[in-house]
Amino acid sequence: MKTVETTRQTIVVDRDVLSEKKQRAADLRRRFTERGTLVLNLVSSPGAGKTSLLEATARHWNGTRSMAVLVGDLATERDADRLRPFVPVQQLTTGGACHLELSLVEQGLARLPAGDVEFLFIENIGNLVCPASHDLAEHLRIALLSTTEGDDKPGKYPKMFRTSDALVISKTDLLPYVPFRIDAAVDDARKIQPELKAFGVCSLTGEGVAEWCAFLDAARTAMLSAC
Amino acid sequence: MHETSLVRSLLKQVKQIMMEHSATSVDSITVEIGPLSGVEAELVRDSFWQLISTGNLGQPQLHVHEVDLQIRCRHCEVESSVQRLSLQCPECQSRHIQILRGDEFRLINVSLQVPVPLEGVEK
Repeated sequence: MKTVETTRQTIVVDRDVLSEKKQRAADLRRRFTERGTLVLNLVSSPGAGKTSLLEATARHWNGTRSMAVLVGDLATERDADRLRPFVPVQQLTTGGACHLELSLVEQGLARLPAGDVEFLFIENIGNLVCPASHDLAEHLRIALLSTTEGDDKPGKYPKMFRTSDALVISKTDLLPYVPFRIDAAVDDARKIQPELKAFGVCSLTGEGVAEWCAFLDAARTAMLSAC
Repeated sequence: MHETSLVRSLLKQVKQIMMEHSATSVDSITVEIGPLSGVEAELVRDSFWQLISTGNLGQPQLHVHEVDLQIRCRHCEVESSVQRLSLQCPECQSRHIQILRGDEFRLINVSLQVPVPLEGVEK
């Protein structure tokens, strides 16, 4: 059998392994901008209150804004079931994966009802590590931190807070019962991301929800005026 | 752990480069991991050895370069290399910094075995 003579050749690439996915995300984000849809990627540890915040947001707006939700979990449709009475929603189940990727978001978008919405929320898998590395075509990344988690978390998960645009401190009704200081958490996060906006919210009582919703409206207006 | 999915993307790109150059096998793959990449070198190595057996790429070596964070201060504009995961300008202590390098998982180069061109072969 004749063997092919070969020689060694080194190909210089020097490229982010995620560059192709980031480009796809940037293209999709541009299309959302053109259609007037502000996309928000909600990230937090499990149980920080992402779904509750979306329920509270939908209740506050009470149909005056059009919104849709893609919600990620490893298993079950529980979060989608909670949100279905309020908004169009698609559950993205990852099987075992610890974060959402753009391809899952694209599949979920195809299953949402046709027609543009003003706000698309992507509720990521509860995890403060891996979702930080994946661009889901969002305009803004929103990190939630609940008062029961401790105010020392931002410094422990620097990439997540570095790549977030806003911090929502949830479950503020529990502040009298837990050793959590909002200013300590916000200061810690701003050491990593000085531009971070911060809100205190209690989705159960509605405290702070109006300010959060006003922030969303302002962010969408800014997006529309920039294009 | 998302290293498996990242290494899968890496190997897909290496396979593409291999095809573009009509390579018969891959000798080595060099990657760079920054401290703010969200990627753990040891887990990348584990995933690499698990996935390479099914990749049809040969038996390439994996070289992992763990690099420092390169930052530029938005306040005093000094560029610095910081060894630890410090998001602060070492000159003026400002935290308003831009990350130049060190927040990515990068494919640096690929060494391939490619067929010797015919004109280079001794008759």
